Amino acid sequence: MLIAEIFDRCRALVDDTDLSTVAAWKAAHPGAKAIGCFPVYVPTELVHAAGMLPVGLVGGGGHIEMDHADSLVQSFVCSISRSTLELGMTGRFRNLDGLLFPSICDVARNLSGMCSRNFPALWVDYIHLPQNRASAGVVDYYRSELARVQVGLDVLAGRTTTFDALAASIQAFNQQRAVLRDLHAFRRSFPWLLSTEELHLLTNAGSVLDVAEHTNLLQETLNLLSMRKGKPKDRIRVLLEGAFCEQPPLELMKAIEEAGCWIVEDDLLLGRRWLATDVTLNGDPLRALAESYVRQDTVSSVRHERPRRRADSLVERAREARVDGVLLCSAKFCEPALFDQVLLRNALEQAGIPHLALEFEEKMGVFETPRTQVETFVESILFA
Amino acid sequence: MALYQDLGRNLQKDLLAKWYGDLALANERKEPVAYLFVSGNVEELLQAYGFHLVYPEINALQCGIKKAAGGFIQKAEEAGYSSDVCGYVKNDVGIALAGGKWPLGNLPKPDLLVCTYAGCTTYMKWFEALAQHFECPLFVLDVPFVRDEDVPAADIAYVVTQLRELSVLCQAVTGRTLSEERLRELVRLSAEAEDLWVRVLEMAKRRPSPLDGFFEAVFFMAPINVLRGTPECVAYYEGVLREMEERVSLGIGPIPEEKFRVVLEGPPPWPHFRAFWDLFKRWGVTCVASTYPRVGGIWDWGMRHDPERPWESIATHAMNGYTNWNLARRQAMMRRFVAEYHADALVLHSVKSCRAFSMGMADTRELFLREDRLPALFIESDLADPRYFSEAQLRTRVDAFFEALEHRRSARV
Amino acid sequence: MIVAGIDVGSTATKGVLLHADGRILGRALVPTGANVVRAAERAFQEALRTAGIEDWEVCFIVGTGYGRYKVQFGHAQITEISCHAKGAQFLMPGTRTVLDIGGQDTKAIKVGEAGEVLDFCMNDKCAAGTGRFLEAAAGVLGLDLAEIGDVSLRSRDPLRVTNVCTVFVESEIVSHLAKGRKVEDILRGVHNAIAARSLALLRRVGYEPGLAFTGGVSRNRGMVRALEERLGSPVHASEDSPFMGAIGAALYARERAEHAAAPGKA
Repeated sequence: MLIAEIFDRCRALVDDTDLSTVAAWKAAHPGAKAIGCFPVYVPTELVHAAGMLPVGLVGGGGHIEMDHADSLVQSFVCSISRSTLELGMTGRFRNLDGLLFPSICDVARNLSGMCSRNFPALWVDYIHLPQNRASAGVVDYYRSELARVQVGLDVLAGRTTTFDALAASIQAFNQQRAVLRDLHAFRRSFPWLLSTEELHLLTNAGSVLDVAEHTNLLQETLNLLSMRKGKPKDRIRVLLEGAFCEQPPLELMKAIEEAGCWIVEDDLLLGRRWLATDVTLNGDPLRALAESYVRQDTVSSVRHERPRRRADSLVERAREARVDGVLLCSAKFCEPALFDQVLLRNALEQAGIPHLALEFEEKMGVFETPRTQVETFVESILFA
Repeated sequence: MALYQDLGRNLQKDLLAKWYGDLALANERKEPVAYLFVSGNVEELLQAYGFHLVYPEINALQCGIKKAAGGFIQKAEEAGYSSDVCGYVKNDVGIALAGGKWPLGNLPKPDLLVCTYAGCTTYMKWFEALAQHFECPLFVLDVPFVRDEDVPAADIAYVVTQLRELSVLCQAVTGRTLSEERLRELVRLSAEAEDLWVRVLEMAKRRPSPLDGFFEAVFFMAPINVLRGTPECVAYYEGVLREMEERVSLGIGPIPEEKFRVVLEGPPPWPHFRAFWDLFKRWGVTCVASTYPRVGGIWDWGMRHDPERPWESIATHAMNGYTNWNLARRQAMMRRFVAEYHADALVLHSVKSCRAFSMGMADTRELFLREDRLPALFIESDLADPRYFSEAQLRTRVDAFFEALEHRRSARV
Repeated sequence: MIVAGIDVGSTATKGVLLHADGRILGRALVPTGANVVRAAERAFQEALRTAGIEDWEVCFIVGTGYGRYKVQFGHAQITEISCHAKGAQFLMPGTRTVLDIGGQDTKAIKVGEAGEVLDFCMNDKCAAGTGRFLEAAAGVLGLDLAEIGDVSLRSRDPLRVTNVCTVFVESEIVSHLAKGRKVEDILRGVHNAIAARSLALLRRVGYEPGLAFTGGVSRNRGMVRALEERLGSPVHASEDSPFMGAIGAALYARERAEHAAAPGKA
């Protein structure tokens, strides 16, 4: 396949809010079920091990009209919560059998309850995320939480997940995350050969694909990328932080890069690469998974920042990626990101790293304002 | 003769005044100070170590009542906080930025921050910011969301483990050791006060109700949330109970004539508390039950602190704050209130600051309207930010709602 | 017997005189301005003048709208929500829902057979999707508020306007103009966006066909069309729609007056 064809395919997959890809998967796997997973991070391994397709929910993008959800969600609540409801209320979850929500924020907590009530045909569960990573009891606890969810999935699937099946699923996701890491490393070194828009499309395509198929697609792309030709342009390198849940429109990523930036590091679709290193399989796979979730140092506004401050790790990441500036880019009304902006901004200020705050909504349609802001930001750095 | 008139209100003021008075001197006397949140708090453990307790939420609401919130919120916004985030947090950050000087004098600096986040996940953001400001230890007590009918045993075990770890940290901060006996005594006193508090709340089941289960209860609830484990707290609720019993015998209540009984969901708009209450008083409305007094803990159906199992009962309490329950449980609670307190309607007060409360309220309204055929009013303002209160808009909604209820009633007669 | 209804809105104050037999005798619409008390008086006097009636002939007056307590000569105050419901059911029998888009508020009202309010919802505190939003859009395009509806009807390729925030609508429109989009397409997009917001409110009260469109914006034909397309069912608006609050208030005035006059009930 040509690389352009790959991106076209990804675009088609991403634009498919009706989840017809999921329907096709189910047709090919008679009796198998599909579970929608809300961001930021859900242990999709559990879903996969139960013989189901984990489907990444990423809101409605700019594609869907809000006809129903606005009547249930106040205007001060983030877009992704309302578009998720809208998808369900307009029948676009008909190919799903359940929804899994992680414990990321107050909106997600109650959204899970609203989905339970409004979509009685779906199995809905809410999975806790450990916030006290220093506690001696935390791994045991998280293992029991994962086991609880696994039982729920097993009941839904009408089968019992074996340790071997779970271990195989963990392997499959280890491989997917490894290729994603390679792609990110590639972009960091050669941002002119892989735009952020393209990387996002590639990653997001995994929302509706089986993990093995997605991994192959990513690997194929990586091979093709090394043959891609292009010339570096005179742009500044930036890190984009704050878009870990609701996703900005691709047009915004494009506008930012066209305004004179290379985004070389970001937290877009953070959940897809939440675990920065492989889950080490050694005996009980459920415990291995729990260990990884608890111990790995992934930083996000939806996770308590001890033992390490988010602000410190942001500064460190910015330096490692040798960026010229940081874009604090958060979804409108996203409280976790907006609260963090203050602390992050102060830290960047102290570290002498230029930064710019941007706000987006998945359904925004005009990009002139952010573009002007970013252009000015670029100028301020280049002319300094 | 009314012997106990206004006892609940006056004694509450005295208790809080003494508490704030002690707080103001704590740093000077080199006595340990801990900051914590109201919802599902673990104050018995901290009291056992002799901590003075500061509740930033209570400070924020005091600022609201005293019309001082606007200035502090502005200060925080000037420091970079968005206009779209919680006003309580901004109010409190504003106080910290003002060096602890606030309408009630001086707030002591903390030696320890204890974050149980049963109230909301925003609690974590709040204390992360304070930990940076005060440069003091922060302990996040991880309390799983109550996401099912039953709380899994593993959740309680996990919280107990953390409580033991918190205890070790308290020992390090204070240099004191824990007396299990003292802890049991504190827990016993908590349970005693909880019994009395539930009896007070249940007085509102009477017709007419001697108590407003929202507008009065939100003041009466202060000691059970912040002074549990003390004999003064027990004495307070004995007094309030007497006042309510006296009201019954004298045939008086919060309003001259009870015409409508409602259940109220959501927090009060503290900066405009009087004006908000007046909107309802004009229509002869008594709130017979409400969800806000259950934010601290839910004792209505038998949950208690227990001297026989102090750690487990503290852990159980820590998870059972109203907003740490999933929507289905919360809606079931409101249904019980409507039935047991004989309510004519449900009023939902959505506040911008608190997604933990507000997200899902319109759905709850649908549930009551469509499935229960119960009239439900949806209104909006804020609990902290005075800028989000539009009296004219609110009044139109409240008036129209009770006009319609009155009409329906007269059509039936 | 003659009664009156005075509806003091945020932008305009409306006065209506009603005969006991249900005939509307006079109407008036004046800008509310800064002096609300004065606006109420002026609307009343103007209505009297158009009807050729003296003030002493009017036996009962009901004030409604935000300024209802400022109608100092009024005998009772009733919210505009109750009044719009009442008025709509009277003028358009069979009305199930009322959509009132005014200067600062949009209200969706579910109405019973006697014109009673069964349920209602209003927009958020901000002016997103209200008359003010249209006004802002008209202002940036240099058009008169009265003409933008008709202009929007000329659109063949409506734009998707995503932002219904009154503060940001201006910059959004300017950027569309800069891209060379046609004024009518932009305006149609603006009307569609308001229709979408309105539908959300209507859903909250449980929308049923039989919609009476009232309030100041109901005169806007482009808005009527946008709503009809969005709802897929007809929307009833008439010359009297902007006066619906005042008409409802007059109807309540008639009820009160008759009630007071009924033997043994005084």
